Amino acid sequence: MDVAIKNLSHRFGEKVIFENFNLTLREGGLYGLTAPSGRGKTTLLRILMGLLVPDGGTVTQGVRYSAVFQNDRLLPGKTAVDQLLFVRGVRKDREAAARFLAGLLPEDSLCQPVGELSGGMQRRVAIARALWAESDCILMDEPFTGLDEDTLRHTADFILANRQGRTLLLSTHQRELLSEYPFEWLTL
Amino acid sequence: MKPAKSPRHLLRGLLIALFWLGVWQAASMLVAKPVLFASPLDTVRALLALLPTGDFWLSVLGSFRRIALGFFLALALGTLTGAAAFRFGLLRELVSPMLTLMKSVPVASFIILVLVWFGSANLAVIVSLIIVFPLIYFATLSGLGSADPELLELARVYGVPGKRVLWQLYRPALWPYLRGACASALGMSWKAGIAAEVIGTPARSIGEQMYLSKIYMDTAELFAWTLTVIVLSAIFEKTVLWLLGKAGK
Repeated sequence: MDVAIKNLSHRFGEKVIFENFNLTLREGGLYGLTAPSGRGKTTLLRILMGLLVPDGGTVTQGVRYSAVFQNDRLLPGKTAVDQLLFVRGVRKDREAAARFLAGLLPEDSLCQPVGELSGGMQRRVAIARALWAESDCILMDEPFTGLDEDTLRHTADFILANRQGRTLLLSTHQRELLSEYPFEWLTL
Repeated sequence: MKPAKSPRHLLRGLLIALFWLGVWQAASMLVAKPVLFASPLDTVRALLALLPTGDFWLSVLGSFRRIALGFFLALALGTLTGAAAFRFGLLRELVSPMLTLMKSVPVASFIILVLVWFGSANLAVIVSLIIVFPLIYFATLSGLGSADPELLELARVYGVPGKRVLWQLYRPALWPYLRGACASALGMSWKAGIAAEVIGTPARSIGEQMYLSKIYMDTAELFAWTLTVIVLSAIFEKTVLWLLGKAGK
């Protein structure tokens, strides 16, 4: 399903964030979103997810989203595998979830409480969770924050290999590091 | 898991207990009237005399059954009402005046009213329930309200089923509040329950036995019953908190 934003208007107080903004994300498309800080990247993602009601305009309804938020939002005290099972699956999926995570994290870290993992590892758990969940469209807000260059590339490869044809919209400040990937770039 | 207490720590605890037993003994010697102030030895002697009697165990069982029933009813009703009030603002506003009343009315007034309305048989059940219910209700409201809003938002975006959200987000948020409220409520339920029994003197209750001790001016037995209540209350508190700890994992 395409995701269409039509005539979007939104402001915070006096500050206009969107004014008659239009955007269509084609089903299965791969989009990168860049903009200077404070121009509305996170706001746009929140409006898409239905977490923020815009002042005006329409957004396609009925789309199932999974997301990487600006902060990791992991369940405290739970393992990396538990984070995946929270959004999809039951106990019998534990092994499959662990195998999935092993593509992004060292195997010995999968059953540790996430609080004991490094910041970069926690970020990758949040990314894996978004890919593991059942969704039509994946939204990622600065997913590569805290990752070094090599890990960033490995993570980007993992994302592209596991998005399974779903629409992906990824906001980032690190466009230059993703130049080799086939993103269609959008600028706010 | 709590670390085991060191021998030094245990010794210190023992010495503190001995100090207060000494103070008690000294005070009883100073008063020198066992009918007014029984010594620790008199109290132990009275307790040892009570222990083999059937009346003692029937009274203990009767009071325990009533107070525990009141507590668990309050725990169930307080949690359910608190959860419903958290979900429905109208219900929260509706029950608010009743709970303010329950918190501010003196326990003695409740005891007398319940005695007049329902008689003495289940007095301790109702009084214990009335005392514990507001504590559990407010703890449930606060606990559920403390669930991480960012994780709740995440669950909403991902369409996580309600049962899982309840179990994995609300339950861990609720538990510390509920445990804290129970820690206070357990002791209070015993204090209020026994006070109610002393006033209502239901048959086969610790309160009735304490009342009789007072009538016969048997201070040693009164102290023995008081000691029994302290021990029962402590056992009940430890057991319930242990069970809550297990359930919260």
